[in-house]
Amino acid sequence: MNSRRRIAALMAMSVAGLVWSCGPQQIRTPQRQGQDLVVLLPDTASGEVGRATVSNPSGAVDLAAARDSTIASAGQPPTPVSTMSEAEIDRLFGDALAALPSPAQYFTLYFRFDSEVLTEESRALVADILSAIRARPVPDVVAVGHTDTMGVSAMNFELGLKRANTVRDLLVEGGLDTSAVEVVSHGESDLLVRTADEVAEPRNRRVEIAVR
Amino acid sequence: MNLRSWVAALLFVLMAEPAFSQQPVDVGRIKVVTGSAFIVRAGALVPAQAGQAVFQADGLRTGPGGRVGITLRDDTRLSLGPNSEVRLDRFAYAPAESQVGFVLRIVRGVVAYVSGRIAKLSPDSIRLEAPGAIVGVRGTTLAVRVLPE
Repeated sequence: MNSRRRIAALMAMSVAGLVWSCGPQQIRTPQRQGQDLVVLLPDTASGEVGRATVSNPSGAVDLAAARDSTIASAGQPPTPVSTMSEAEIDRLFGDALAALPSPAQYFTLYFRFDSEVLTEESRALVADILSAIRARPVPDVVAVGHTDTMGVSAMNFELGLKRANTVRDLLVEGGLDTSAVEVVSHGESDLLVRTADEVAEPRNRRVEIAVR
Repeated sequence: MNLRSWVAALLFVLMAEPAFSQQPVDVGRIKVVTGSAFIVRAGALVPAQAGQAVFQADGLRTGPGGRVGITLRDDTRLSLGPNSEVRLDRFAYAPAESQVGFVLRIVRGVVAYVSGRIAKLSPDSIRLEAPGAIVGVRGTTLAVRVLPE
């Protein structure tokens, strides 16, 4: 290549560069076939933002802020993090996000000492649980029974199960399908308030209920 | 009971028996369905219905305009937009036996994911596997779009 041609080539390149930089700035590379787009979103209820790592054998990228995104494909490291606009998220993911089920709701009911009888206050809460269940098109419920550390652990497993069954029966009476309730006992193995063995602790005598 | 009910009862027992003998544990339930959506189970397409149980190794597939949303046993939530497919490669939630983990293979399309209790107990046991990368999740909400070759 002689020097005149080299200058012409350089000029052509700088003109091209000028045109490119003056043109509409692409904020992010559009995703192509064979590529995966990953975006971190704030929690719909709490606004809390988690964290994720996108990796393949060529590299890894951390997503740590709301709407952080990266594009990955086999044989290339994931692209540096860029922020996606809310409009773009809605355009690409609106359908999927609209199909997310409602988050689970949690309730705790307390029981009298060595008994599967609910405390007065907890009995009054059953109506709230039933309305949470009725608000869902296809509800299912998990009831986990617990005890304090008074007595033998095998007996407490049984007591935890009786408590959970009490809750199941109340919810079924209130209209929930039996097949939609799962009953579990953790006995004295999962204390809400940590105590020594043989300690009467009302806050540990409970059934934890997840409605989803 | 007339003859027709007897035949129906017999058929029910015959059809239900293999399902009872295998005793698969359901990993979650379908909560939301719009348009064409299917469970891919042992290679067959089962139309998805709200309330239906899903099992480990099941896939979920949507057609044009289809959407589906499920809640898993640990309260993980997952949903697919149209023309999408995922497979529940692994799901274990037995904290008492220290068996927890979730591996979701995203085959194609758009997926939204909200982590559940597994992410709190054992975040390293969660993997969302796309064709070009693996996503490790510390919580909570993610969206993934896979455009296959």
